[in-house]
Amino acid sequence: MRVAVIGAGVMGLSTAYFLAKSGVEVKVFEQKYLTYGASGRNSGGITAMLDREELIPFAVRSLEMYENLPSELEFNFLFRMDGYIKVADRDEDVERLEKSLNLQRKLGVDAEIIEPQEIRDLIPDFNSSAVTFAVFSKNSGVVFPWPVVWGLAKGCRELGVEIKTHTKVHDIIIGEGIRGVKAGDEFFEADVIVNSAGAWSNEMSRIAGIELGNKIIKEEICVTESIKPYLDPYLLDVSHGLYISQTSRGEIVGGITGREVEKIETKSSMDFLVKYARRVTQLIPKLKGLSILRQWSGVYDEGKDGLPVVGFSKDESFVQANGLGHWGMTIGLSLGKELAKLIIKGENPKLKPFSPERF
Amino acid sequence: MGKSRKIVCRCEDLTEEEIIHAIDEGYNDLESLKRYTGATTGACQGKGCLMHLIRILSQKTKRSPEEIGVTTQRPPVNPVPLLILSEGDTE
Repeated sequence: MRVAVIGAGVMGLSTAYFLAKSGVEVKVFEQKYLTYGASGRNSGGITAMLDREELIPFAVRSLEMYENLPSELEFNFLFRMDGYIKVADRDEDVERLEKSLNLQRKLGVDAEIIEPQEIRDLIPDFNSSAVTFAVFSKNSGVVFPWPVVWGLAKGCRELGVEIKTHTKVHDIIIGEGIRGVKAGDEFFEADVIVNSAGAWSNEMSRIAGIELGNKIIKEEICVTESIKPYLDPYLLDVSHGLYISQTSRGEIVGGITGREVEKIETKSSMDFLVKYARRVTQLIPKLKGLSILRQWSGVYDEGKDGLPVVGFSKDESFVQANGLGHWGMTIGLSLGKELAKLIIKGENPKLKPFSPERF
Repeated sequence: MGKSRKIVCRCEDLTEEEIIHAIDEGYNDLESLKRYTGATTGACQGKGCLMHLIRILSQKTKRSPEEIGVTTQRPPVNPVPLLILSEGDTE
């Protein structure tokens, strides 16, 4: 079997890696460079404290993979399991967090309610009066997204997978007869074509003649100058959509959960910086002396119903592997592994909730 | 310190040798080289090191500086404290 994978983000590369491990011939096409898309622009928070029942098992398995894959690939993901805190200060968010917590615990996730004052045991300068409710999971943490992409790419290449960067796919031929992708001046014949192009998945699906209709979300992030290790856990304020963590290089990286946009664009805004600065200095006042060095934005896609779109489309030679939403880094590793099984065996019940044919 | 130890990026403390090593490992376009080494991502945001990075990449890969291009310049131009930003206006 020959497979063409479109998009070298965490989803495409994980799929390619596990396909190649089973002996499938794979070629990956990336329109820009490795880490250009959402897999290279996010803040690396990894937790199984998710709201959707369908996603939680994939987060749990991905967390295991974050611990085990680096030694298999001989590439350090700079993953550290220092915990994940979610806070809220609006009643409707508190209700949602409580509901999700019950679901997570039912599925075996080690999540618990903590008092806002207890956050100070984890983040010494936290202003606990800024929130009314908090949940904590010890078995969560922060990963550096770039080495995840590079490590998977290294694993792929060692298994003979060619990754063509700066090569945009401009035509996809499916159906009866010869199938494959046209990219640059090449036609790569393939039995199966995997659409893991993130925010560009709608466009790739369209040129294959299949309607997808994922939402496009734009999100902004910024980093401060580096300081000594200070902030161990990842913090998400669900009422304000704000998240913050410290990278292994010492920068405080943070953003605000994105909004749906009509079309792909990655401009940075002053509006974001001001909103971010206001809330983050309420949560941890001591940060106000730190300077922002750099800001950027990124785009990702999300299935119409908020769930990923992963599996065979109506044409079985065209496989969707997109719509992972805000949680791509959290679920992508295990979703890719399960997708490889689906492609090889022709079925995988674990992926049923994400079938492109559910709409 | 050896005579050949040339510092390319002072913020991230990177030598020319380390940049060349990264290029040899396959991080041979400017955006990948920046991310893999951390060059241009420190306090100066590339003002001191970007030209060196382009020069080394050009010498190693025999591509012209025009072909190599520059990294995406990201705001702010100079570091701005969160305290000042928090006093700003929103839309």
